[in-house]
Amino acid sequence: MQPVDPGMTAKTLIIGYGSPIRGDDAIGPLAAEALMAAPLPREVSVIARHILTAELAAEIATAERVIFLDASVTGEPGEVRVQTLAPDASALSSMAHFLSPRELLAWCQALYGHQPAAWLVTATGQSFTYAHCRLSPLATAAMEVMLAEVQALIGRPAAGISSPASSRNGGW
Amino acid sequence: MSRTITIEPVTRIEGHARITLQLGAEGELQDALFHLTQFRGFEKFCEGRPYREMPALTARTCGICPVSHILAANKACDHLLSVTIPPTAEKLRRIINLAQLTQSHALSFFHLSSPDLLLGWDADPATRNIFGVMRQYPELARDGIRLRQIGQTIIETLGGKKIHPTWVVPGGVSEALTQEKRTAMLKLLPEGLEIARRTYDFFKTLVPKFKDEASHFGTQDTLFLSLVTPEGNLEHYDGFLRLKDARGRIVEDRVPTWEYQRLVGEAVEDFSYMKFPYYKPMGYPKGVYRVGPLARLNNANACGTPYADVALAEFHMLQESGPIASSFHYHYARLVEIIYALEMMDRLLKDPDIMDQRVRARARSNRDEGIGVAEAPRGTLMHHYKIDDDGLITWVNLIIATGHNNLAMNAAIKQVAAAYVDANHLQEGMLNRVEAVIRCFDPCLSCASHAFGQMPMVIELQDAAGRVVDSLCRH
Repeated sequence: MQPVDPGMTAKTLIIGYGSPIRGDDAIGPLAAEALMAAPLPREVSVIARHILTAELAAEIATAERVIFLDASVTGEPGEVRVQTLAPDASALSSMAHFLSPRELLAWCQALYGHQPAAWLVTATGQSFTYAHCRLSPLATAAMEVMLAEVQALIGRPAAGISSPASSRNGGW
Repeated sequence: MSRTITIEPVTRIEGHARITLQLGAEGELQDALFHLTQFRGFEKFCEGRPYREMPALTARTCGICPVSHILAANKACDHLLSVTIPPTAEKLRRIINLAQLTQSHALSFFHLSSPDLLLGWDADPATRNIFGVMRQYPELARDGIRLRQIGQTIIETLGGKKIHPTWVVPGGVSEALTQEKRTAMLKLLPEGLEIARRTYDFFKTLVPKFKDEASHFGTQDTLFLSLVTPEGNLEHYDGFLRLKDARGRIVEDRVPTWEYQRLVGEAVEDFSYMKFPYYKPMGYPKGVYRVGPLARLNNANACGTPYADVALAEFHMLQESGPIASSFHYHYARLVEIIYALEMMDRLLKDPDIMDQRVRARARSNRDEGIGVAEAPRGTLMHHYKIDDDGLITWVNLIIATGHNNLAMNAAIKQVAAAYVDANHLQEGMLNRVEAVIRCFDPCLSCASHAFGQMPMVIELQDAAGRVVDSLCRH
């Protein structure tokens, strides 16, 4: 993993989330932990979580951009996607303690009047078996790609963050 | 011609449930049932595992209150070790428990119940949600977020940045407190207390508006079960079991937690996967009792912290005399407990012994049966294990806080349905009240598979021949 050039980075929050005991679902938090161990600009903070909870809205409100890291069940196993995210207040979660990234962005917008640039970086998992605490080989390989994508996003100059149209695979 | 109304899923609660209202020929309510519709079987699949795994295993029971399971499980393990944990370890465990209570109660009040309380039971369901609250009461919604953040930050500071922290261990905790962590936590508490008091003062002004709901929302004669301190005060971590009746008479007191089976029997019904615990001496189903914030405040002589004691006195003024009967006042009790939790965490963190480095007693198993009881946000949580000579689990019994309230919840929906549901013309607000009484209890049903919010819901009124005579649909 190549360290990004410090000094030009917008205040960035990276949130990796997923269950650590559901096989490849752990790729989000594991990628976050890998980033924590890597040299990062001081403007970048990283959180690893099991699930997305409401209080994260307050943390997102302090960031200029936020990058969510998650596993996906759609696509080919090992496939990495980068999508832009927009707040969605209609995406009311069906889980009392588990919000979707777009819902969380909507909470942030509604409560703090702040809408950071946001991306979702996903890797399609191969196995989500219960009580499985290892990534599949495909997910392990995909994690490296995820990390490179995150580094590329972090490396974007602060001035460019308001128009993330160049993200691959479209947006929500 | 009998008819049945089904509310499924029940929304803005933790877990999957269904309510059915059974109506007679004249449209009168004959019965109301609350169904837990998922089977999980935690007790069975823990068998054969080493007892030291139980805190980690049972924490997975719940994504909402894993700390409660971790504490009850470790207390059961302490019992198996036959150790008294170091006093500082006990204080540290108390702090993480109170932090958990703060964030859990904040979720219940600010995010699950506030849409009903602030926007109205009959408001358009499309806007009667957390975003509706954010639009009309943004400061209150931000306060809810901040309180959760404070609770969660304290949990993470002590337990590590994990949903299921492993810092609490059999015999105590794995790591003593550092000055840096102590300072960081202490810094958060004044703001938390200010928010809690502001919210409490605001809610007090709302309570008179809900006189009707307070009269019909599970206003019933039941017993109340909770832990209390040896002096009979509010307790969330240890102490003795106390049971009070609806008149305020203490029925059982100073009962050691390992004698819980003398008080609590467990029945099953074919319409739900949730157990029906009952007070054994009164038998089933007469031995109805409630647990949780309402029961804890009803049972406590005092809270033992300044602001919470004032709030407790005001809580008792909600009714002329006796324990507060209405389940609607669970909301009030939750706010009192948040105040208490923040005050008590401050006190514990300022305790001169809190920095003591001796925080763990080490031993091997010294008995073959262990019982751990603590107060989870939703009520008394009981873990009971038996192990063999190799320390492997041979039998587990878990009585989850929500389970204790099962009989009371069933009685409560019956009361609300009788008061508000006009079977000849269903209106969403009527059924929302039936759901709302369940939200008063803040049930955490499956302790992991959690559903709430704008889930599709179809409510049908059918005649005996199965013909749909009325329906409501929520998309």
